[in-house]
Amino acid sequence: MKLAVVVQRYGADLNGGAELHARYVAEHLAPHADVEVLTTSTTDYITWKNDLTPGVEQVNGIPVCRFPVSRERDPDDFGRRSEHVFGEEHSIGSELAWLRSEGPTSPALVKHLRRHGHEYDFCVFFSYRYYHAYHGARVTPDQAVLVPTAERDPALGLEIFGPAFRGVRALMYNSHEERALIQGVSGNERVPGVVVGIGSEVPSDPQPDRFRQRTGLHGPTLIYVGRIDENKGCKELFDFFQRYARIDQALTLVLIGNPIMAIPEHPRIRHLGFVSDEEKFDAMAAAELLVIPSYYESLSMVTLEAWALGRPVLANGKCDVLCGQCVRSNAGLYYENYEEFAESLHIILTQRRLREALGANGRIYFDRHYTWPTIERKYLDMFDRLQQEDPANRPAREAIPGWFGRRRRTVPPASDVVDRLPRGPASGEGGAAAS
Amino acid sequence: MAEFNIQSDSVDVTRIMEQIRERIREKRGADYTEEHVRELASVKLERFLDPRQVRSGLVEQYRQLDAAEGQDPIDWSTPSLLGPPPESFEFDTETIYKSSRGPTGKIIQMIRKLLNPFLKLLFNPDPMVHALTRQAEINAYTLQLLQQQTDLAERVTKQFERAGAKFQAREELDSLNYEVLNNLVVEMTRLSVDMKNHMMRVESVAGRLDFAERRARALETVVQHRSTPSTDEAGSRDGDSTSGSGSGRTRRRRRRSRRRGGGSGEADAPAATQPATDGGNGDTPVPTDAAPEPSGGGTSAEASAPAVDTDTASPTPEEPVPSAAAPETAPSVETATLASPPTTGDAGGDAGGPQDTPVSADPEPGERSGDPDEQ
Repeated sequence: MKLAVVVQRYGADLNGGAELHARYVAEHLAPHADVEVLTTSTTDYITWKNDLTPGVEQVNGIPVCRFPVSRERDPDDFGRRSEHVFGEEHSIGSELAWLRSEGPTSPALVKHLRRHGHEYDFCVFFSYRYYHAYHGARVTPDQAVLVPTAERDPALGLEIFGPAFRGVRALMYNSHEERALIQGVSGNERVPGVVVGIGSEVPSDPQPDRFRQRTGLHGPTLIYVGRIDENKGCKELFDFFQRYARIDQALTLVLIGNPIMAIPEHPRIRHLGFVSDEEKFDAMAAAELLVIPSYYESLSMVTLEAWALGRPVLANGKCDVLCGQCVRSNAGLYYENYEEFAESLHIILTQRRLREALGANGRIYFDRHYTWPTIERKYLDMFDRLQQEDPANRPAREAIPGWFGRRRRTVPPASDVVDRLPRGPASGEGGAAAS
Repeated sequence: MAEFNIQSDSVDVTRIMEQIRERIREKRGADYTEEHVRELASVKLERFLDPRQVRSGLVEQYRQLDAAEGQDPIDWSTPSLLGPPPESFEFDTETIYKSSRGPTGKIIQMIRKLLNPFLKLLFNPDPMVHALTRQAEINAYTLQLLQQQTDLAERVTKQFERAGAKFQAREELDSLNYEVLNNLVVEMTRLSVDMKNHMMRVESVAGRLDFAERRARALETVVQHRSTPSTDEAGSRDGDSTSGSGSGRTRRRRRRSRRRGGGSGEADAPAATQPATDGGNGDTPVPTDAAPEPSGGGTSAEASAPAVDTDTASPTPEEPVPSAAAPETAPSVETATLASPPTTGDAGGDAGGPQDTPVSADPEPGERSGDPDEQ
């Protein structure tokens, strides 16, 4: 079986969520299939600047074929177009222009797929919202398997993505909430889909004492791992923690990750910066719990890692995915305001039995649904299923409207579409349910 | 914090979150309720604006701010923009031939006039003259408008400055409002505590009064037993022979009911012997009750009893004395009678007031013995 993993950026040192996801999937499917990665020659997700050489190279034993990006992103143009399609009535043409503006615009990649797509059994596209996935899936309708990595953001409400969700062979969802969102916006229930997520390489013997000795932190710790960014809910986290620290002066908030925003000067907030995986897992094992303040997550790998280490999480309850994961796993509490944050944190910190029970549930949940053998099996089962599918039953590809149709301003604002989608955790058993 | 009953294999995050949210709601319930807030909001503020209660000069500052706010209202009326039309610069067919060179100029003007037909062959200068005239008028008019706009802008700026000052005054007023409200809450809390203290003191005083009355009655009994044992005995015998034990019980019950309060008095006393002026409260001297009864009411001891304490209805003449040799037991006997469970008719009197409480049992004064005034 020959597979193409198509992703916007690829590299051993890239830590973006979807990019890391794609690399893990490619590397874990490599023993089962002939995997090739098709990507762009950029590492900058803001400008898509061509900073790598186009061509083929090997990354961790996987052949990676890079294609140039034809135009860099103009942030002003992209912002203007985003405001238009998200907030105003617009046309399909405006959405296609928005997609080009967002990038990474790589016609060479799409051309390669058009010419050689049939040589692959399946092309696994990552991140529905980018140029490569939209146009690549359109030119390889018989091979396209989409890993949407969708969140509740306005882009999901764009009209052009409905046919894309309905036109692929299968979707590999990260969570039940993601599946509910995509089915709600596109009505693609007939397209095969499975909630898969992603596994994680968690060491079996992390050394919490090593972390404590290295940092000198011996009291209880609350840990946050990820980009320290206002968009990740860190501002609210700092606010809540500083209020809580007035009550509990022994607790320390440990931050791991690159800061995009200012970190408040506080004696109980400790920023360790970007650390190695070993140090990260040591820190997580030493912590009482992990906090995930983000409002938008499609899966949150770090949550799964915490559960794999037997640590409970305290998640932002306004994020449907995190809330749903906590409810399904019974391995974390969630908050929607400061009172709930303080109560939940206090309970987890002070009640050892509850903390241990939540951690144990998290470990069970991870072992059951997010170990790599399970993830690989789900992918391979889906490929088998698709190969046995009768080609006559495949849905016909929906064409893009014509010249006049693309210019008709009848498409509602994407934000309104997303606002109408159901909220809250989705029902579903574990992560194994398949539709 | 209440413990959650968590079993390792039965953690239900949804239920825990419900419990957490319930606890948060309970905590919030300890704050002001919605009714309290509404009540506070509906109270008229001026009622509490007393300089003796709040900081010195606060009300005066209020009034000053209020006056500052009220004075010099902003005039938003639109000023008259149009003045008289500007003077026009005269243009006519001759103007364009004129010259300012004096005598030479006249020659030039004449030459120009002579050549005018040739000029008119080329173009007609009249419309140009007319247009220039109009333009001059328009220019002057525009200048005037600009001047007026400048004036208007200055006035608007001044008015904005005044509005800014007004906003500043409003901010000061807000801080004063906050201070007054804060004082109000403090004062109301203090008054509430004071009121509770006073209520407790009234209860205490009432209890002590009742105890004192009972002690006085007991002492009177002892004194009278010692001073007039023969009379007492005669009276007692006389009473027994004339009215019998039933009448004695009736009087005793009447006295008890009077002591306990109006409700019980009304319920227990026969209509014939309980006058309307009694009021049932047991505090009013009852002339009819003090009047000679058929059974030995004419003894000297009985005549002196109401004068001592009409409320407590001296027990000596009417009370069947168990034994003249044991006068000290009299108070305890009476107390035991009073401490008996109230009848249905007594219920209203028992519930009548706090003064019943110390009467109800002997240990009560002892319980209150912590109060040094009581001893």
